[in-house]
Parts: sequence; structure tokens; C-alpha cells
Amino acid sequence: MSAPDSRPALAPGVRMQTDRVTGEPVLLYPEGILALNATAHEIVARCDGVATVAAIAHTLAEEYEMDSDALAADVLECLEDLRRRHLIVFAE
Amino acid sequence: MNDRPYSSYRPYALLAELTYRCPLHCPYCSNPTQYPAGSDLTTEEWRRVIREAAEIGVLHAGFSGGEPLLRPDLASLVAEARGNGLYTNLITSGVGLDVRRAAELREAGLDSAQISFQADEPALADGIAGARTHRLKLEAARIVREQGIALSVNVVLHRANLSRLREIIAFAAALGTKHLELANTQYYGWGFLNRSHLTPTHAQVETARLIATEEKQRYAGQMEIFYVLPDYYQDRPKPCMQGWGRRYLTVNPIGEVLPCPTASSIAGMRFDSVREHALAWIWNESESFNRFRGTDWMPEPCRSCPQHEIDFGGCRCQAALLTGDAAATDPVCTLSPDRKAIDDFLATIGGNDECIPAWRARENPGT
Repeated sequence: MSAPDSRPALAPGVRMQTDRVTGEPVLLYPEGILALNATAHEIVARCDGVATVAAIAHTLAEEYEMDSDALAADVLECLEDLRRRHLIVFAE
Repeated sequence: MNDRPYSSYRPYALLAELTYRCPLHCPYCSNPTQYPAGSDLTTEEWRRVIREAAEIGVLHAGFSGGEPLLRPDLASLVAEARGNGLYTNLITSGVGLDVRRAAELREAGLDSAQISFQADEPALADGIAGARTHRLKLEAARIVREQGIALSVNVVLHRANLSRLREIIAFAAALGTKHLELANTQYYGWGFLNRSHLTPTHAQVETARLIATEEKQRYAGQMEIFYVLPDYYQDRPKPCMQGWGRRYLTVNPIGEVLPCPTASSIAGMRFDSVREHALAWIWNESESFNRFRGTDWMPEPCRSCPQHEIDFGGCRCQAALLTGDAAATDPVCTLSPDRKAIDDFLATIGGNDECIPAWRARENPGT
């Protein structure tokens, strides 16, 4: 389960790439392809297994001048969705 | 994305069938029983196919066969795919995947490897494969993990192994895979030839369905289980390939381009070759790829059915095999006038789940 102090990373075998037809970011994995929206892309691009969920939310909040707490909930929700799809893993 | 030309018909995934040769003889194999005549594509031809695939939108390359490891140039094809930004997945029996080969593939950029197993129990597995390969597969799975390549496991299910579903799932979990595909046999190629021996009983199917649901829960978060239902026992057809010529393309060993891996079984259809045409032309313009696109080709009951945007009329190969007409509604559908073909067949299966392996083993080209 994800928590603010967990450190998300792409799951093994998952790769992020730009779709050369649409120019949009996609996640590629053994069984398929997931198109990422702009928000999800901003989040996933920071999932390096080092930054915590809280730190990612903080960085994005500063960048987009948004409320950090509200954004943290969105970040967690997005990552939880990706975790259920086995595209993101969490290190404590 | 609908305002772009061909956008609703964009190939996302290429299945590269590098050879029909295989060290295994699985009776459920969906490869053609009559191998097409012609020489296998050369390395340079495959590299061009991969580049052209990337140019027309493909993001995903699966290397399959037969057994793709029988091609000594496999790593160079993986490297070509990675160099063109494609995700690379090896679909293998595992036979021939030693440390040297796995390292070579990893260095070429292989993203993931799917190893097939026939059962959890070695004697049963080797009996199904028609070759003593189970032990080699265990070793291959270990090597894949050791090399840091993402491992997925595939087990094709049928009357001889469906009753061991729970044991098979535990076996896969012990291999350390995060992804297990459990695919009830689909009857094409050798599988169609052997369907009387492979089709499970209704009771087996019902028990397995419950077990699959329970085990999915049990392994949630640890191992993703993807369970492909046996479509003869369904009421509605599968959305085969997400629609003909819509998302997927297959190139077979001799360079014919197919909307699905088993399409060459459809009598009377001709598929264009990468040796004669650009892949883009085949995808966009060829008669074969346009034959079952959209809904104009559909007969009733599909034409007026709201489901046709969901299941696309089912599987063209299955329609051809069971009715002789590739444009018929998939007979799996209970609304099909040909459903009787499936019900009559299932009536011959009865309730006896004993499996005598009297099937015809898959043969290799030229044997």
C-alpha cells in the first residue's frame, strides 16, 4: 500500500516512452500500453525509487503553485491506480 | 484521436513469428498444420519490417514462433526494435535460454520474457510438450530472473491440466513471476485438430472458474493472474484481436502479414508479403486487412447488434473453421445461427474428464 513516505518506481519490465504518432507519453509493459495524461506523466516521470510520494507532491505543488496537501491526495490516487495495474512498485 | 486518418486502425503491436520450428510438440499449438511454403525472412528483412512497423505506429514487438530462440540473430532483432523505440517481449518455451543467450538478449535491450509451462508437475508437463523440457524451463525462468529481465509465465489450459489449476498457480508463484497468464486453449491449428482430446468438461470449467477467482484474490499485489476463459463455454464471442486489422499485426516466418496469428488458416484468403509491399501499404490498403474492418461486412445478427462495437463479431478464423464462412458471426455467440456447431461438439465431450493423450503431436515444418 502506498503512503506519503514510500518511494515509487516503475515496476520491473515497465518503460515510459513518447508515442511517436501522438507525441504523448505512454507506459509500455509486457502485456500492453497505457497512455498517460499530462498529470500522470508529471508524476510518473518523478518515480525514480528515491523520491517519496510526499516529495513528489511537494515538487509539483511548487512548480504549479498549488496547495501541497490537496496535490498529495491526487498523487497518491494516481500512483495507487498504477500500482493496482502492476505498473508502479513502492519501496518503503 | 478520431480526426487523424486511419486513427481507429492503428497498429500498436507487432507479433514477429520468427520461425515455425520448435523443440516442443504441444497438441494445443495454434500454428498452422500446413506450413506455408517459402523461405524464412533474413535478418535484414526482419530489421526492415521492424523499422517500418515503428514508422506506422507500432510500440510493442513480441518475438514468437515456433521457438524464436532458434534464430541465432534474435538479439540483433531485439536491438533493432529497441533502437526504434519499441517495447520488446520474448515469447518462448525457454528451451535454449542459457546464461550466455539471456545476457546477450538483456544487453540487446530485451524488456521482458514470457516462458510457457505445460503444467506444474514434470511428468505431466513433459507428456503434454511431447519432449523432456520442463526441467530446462525451470532453469530458463531462473536465468531470466537472475539477468534482471521481467519474467511472465504462460500456461495453456485444457482437459489434461485444468484440474491442477490451483497447483499450477502455486507453481507459477514459486517461480517468482509477477504475471501469470492462464489461457484456456483456443482451437486453431493443431489445437483445432486435437480439440476432442483437449476440451475440458463443463464441470472442470466451472470448478476452474471459481478457483481462478479465489486465487486472483489470494495473490493480489504479489502476482497478477490473467485468466482467459474457454470461449466454447461462453455465450458471447471474444473481441478477437480487438477487431480485425485494428490494433495488431502479425508477420509470419515467410513474411506474410496477418491481422491475427491464425488468419492464414482461412481458406481462400491471400495475405500480402513484406517481400512485395511496404508494411504501411499492407496495413492501410491491402484487401486482406480491409476485408473485415468496420461493420459493413457483418451479417445479421451482428449488423444490428449493439455488442458489435464490443466484440467486433468475434473471431473470423473461428467462423471460418466452424462454418466454412469467415464472414459469419462467430458461432460461440448464442445468437449465431451456427451455435449448434459448438453445442453439438460440446455434447461429444460429455462429463468424463479422463484425458487419454491420443492427440496428434505438433510437427515441425518439413517433417
